Amino acid sequence: MEVRERLDFQARGIDAALRTLTSRASVREAVVLSTCNRAEVYAVCETTEGGSQEIVSFVARFHELDVSEVLPHVYERTDLDAARHLFRVAAGLDSLVVGEPQILGQVKGAHAAGNSAQTVGPVLNRLFHSSFGAGKRVRSETALGAGAVSVSFAAVSLARKIFGDLTGRTVLVVGAGEMGKLTAQHMRSQGAHRVTIVSRTLARAARTAQAIGGASAAPWDALDSALSASDIVITATGAAAPILTKARIEATMRSRRNRPLFIIDIAMPRDVEPAAGEIEQVFLYNIDDLRATIAENLARRTSEIARAETIVSEEIDKFGGWLRSRGVIPTVVALRQRFESIRRSELQRLDFKLSGLSPDARARLDEITRLLVEKLLLTPTEQLKALTDGDAAGAHAEVLTRLFALQANSAVSEGAGVAEDAVTPRPTAGRVEPFPSAARSSR
Amino acid sequence: MNAVPLALYAVALVAYLWHFVRRQPAVGRTATTMLVAGVLAHTFVVGMQTMDAGHVPVIDASSAISTFVWLLALSYLYLEMTTDERAMGAFILPLLVALQCIPAIDPGIEDRAEMLRGPLFGIHVSSLLFAYASFALACVIGVTYVLLFKEIKAKHLGFFYSRLPSLQVLDTMNQRAIAFGWVFLTIGMVVGAIWANQARGDSAVDPRVQAMSLQDPKIAVALVCWAVYSFEAFAARRLGWGGRRTAYLSAVGFAIVLLNLVPISYLLPNSHNF
Repeated sequence: MEVRERLDFQARGIDAALRTLTSRASVREAVVLSTCNRAEVYAVCETTEGGSQEIVSFVARFHELDVSEVLPHVYERTDLDAARHLFRVAAGLDSLVVGEPQILGQVKGAHAAGNSAQTVGPVLNRLFHSSFGAGKRVRSETALGAGAVSVSFAAVSLARKIFGDLTGRTVLVVGAGEMGKLTAQHMRSQGAHRVTIVSRTLARAARTAQAIGGASAAPWDALDSALSASDIVITATGAAAPILTKARIEATMRSRRNRPLFIIDIAMPRDVEPAAGEIEQVFLYNIDDLRATIAENLARRTSEIARAETIVSEEIDKFGGWLRSRGVIPTVVALRQRFESIRRSELQRLDFKLSGLSPDARARLDEITRLLVEKLLLTPTEQLKALTDGDAAGAHAEVLTRLFALQANSAVSEGAGVAEDAVTPRPTAGRVEPFPSAARSSR
Repeated sequence: MNAVPLALYAVALVAYLWHFVRRQPAVGRTATTMLVAGVLAHTFVVGMQTMDAGHVPVIDASSAISTFVWLLALSYLYLEMTTDERAMGAFILPLLVALQCIPAIDPGIEDRAEMLRGPLFGIHVSSLLFAYASFALACVIGVTYVLLFKEIKAKHLGFFYSRLPSLQVLDTMNQRAIAFGWVFLTIGMVVGAIWANQARGDSAVDPRVQAMSLQDPKIAVALVCWAVYSFEAFAARRLGWGGRRTAYLSAVGFAIVLLNLVPISYLLPNSHNF
């Protein structure tokens, strides 16, 4: 918990972090993903071991901590495991509340920050774009992110299912409590047109109305008229007996010509008589009903995890194919270098025989031999680059290396290894809700 | 010839149902594509029959149903394109497929009596078919409204909750479809009455025209229909009868329409079939 708070990259500036990181010799590309319960460094390094050490020491020094303090909290993934981790993060599979929608935006933000700091190279660029694709596919093809998982969001989603667009709808909050305020705020952010607060003490109502912003307060006597003017009613008073009885609501339904009325009773004990739910166009939900729908939604999300993991695996296969096809590039380069050096040494060896030629003819000879080598290498190069199957690419590269006695070290230096260190001290308390304000309030 | 659109509609039906359950966007696009293909094929069929007979094929029950299905498919496609909402397809397509089976099995012969030429008769039949197509849409929308309404009332947010548009949208679509249908039903009936009067005046008439009266089941049922939908439109606007009651009325109204379209045409020879 404590370490996580101290590892917030955002506080110290992601841009500075990225620049410091890539100034290190073994780090080629880097992206930092820092959210309220996640601090991860994605980097492309020369070698896996060296890179991982460099990253941990960077993280410690950047936050003015000792490596030994950071190390117990570090987890590390390399190559495709790192890619899989990022894909799962982007898909919301690694979140506390499975399928929460914000993380994909945060991953995109991290990539954008890396882009503007110019620390994103071809590998991380491809990796992050693939992770966006995986996240989008999971979102559209599974129900992993479906259904509200917080009380206020469940209320908003129900309201949208009854009224469609909330624009132009009037919300009435009875009682000036915190929960009522929060739910009203969500309704307002979804476009609800007017929010009225009715409380036993007008001053408290006015204060809450001000806190919501753009809301108005009304006296307690005006409850009935406010009721008939509203579409959505949130009750959250501390009253011991129900305030809104069935008869009282029925009376207002006539004056509102049976327009639907959505009542959310979040008070304990109840503010609304349960029998009011029997009125034709009244939809009455109390806090327990909302909690029950949340539990159902969470269960449904959990049942979608397997499908989401399958999609992640499919996307990993695609990315892995691309990564491995990049593996032949060093071989291609070495092969070309080899051919070129043979051409040059042959021309040099025959130099005395060609001494009779004019400079013009010699230049033409040079050109002809160069073109010959190009032509000879054209087809093999194309064929190698077309290999997306990693095993086949590896086998081909090995055969070529042997046949032409290519230098092995040049192949390694060009190799693309993804080394990732993620420092994520798992929070022990605090839930992440789909709404930023809800997340803040739960802390 | 009606078998080709039938087959395409059937494929589209499967795709719409699949899309409704699994909600894969690609399946949804396939569904719409198949339906568009079906409508195009159907347009060709209706067009060929029009060329053949020299008028829109609406005279015998079988080709009238075929034209009705074609109009319904077109109306639904319009609805889907304008609302970007595919969920309703899973409810409309079964109706399209079931009705299209009739002309596919029994093609019927377009043979138009001399007296049925002229624009009035054409307007009469086409506006009635268009009205019926609107009522069919309203009925399906009403059924989905009730399904969603029940889930929300029962506080059990499940299958339909996550798939259907909001109650408000369904209610608005329903009322719009009813309003459209009502206008065309009225036009069709008024034009029909004018046409029958003219035909009666033309002496030497077909005995079937003479038999036309309020006792004719087809006319009587159409009047009942008109009454139901007039009440529904009135109730929705004046009495605040939105929501579930309108939805039920749409279903009742369309049940009467179907009665007029299928069993009466086939089983009661004394109705005004030509």
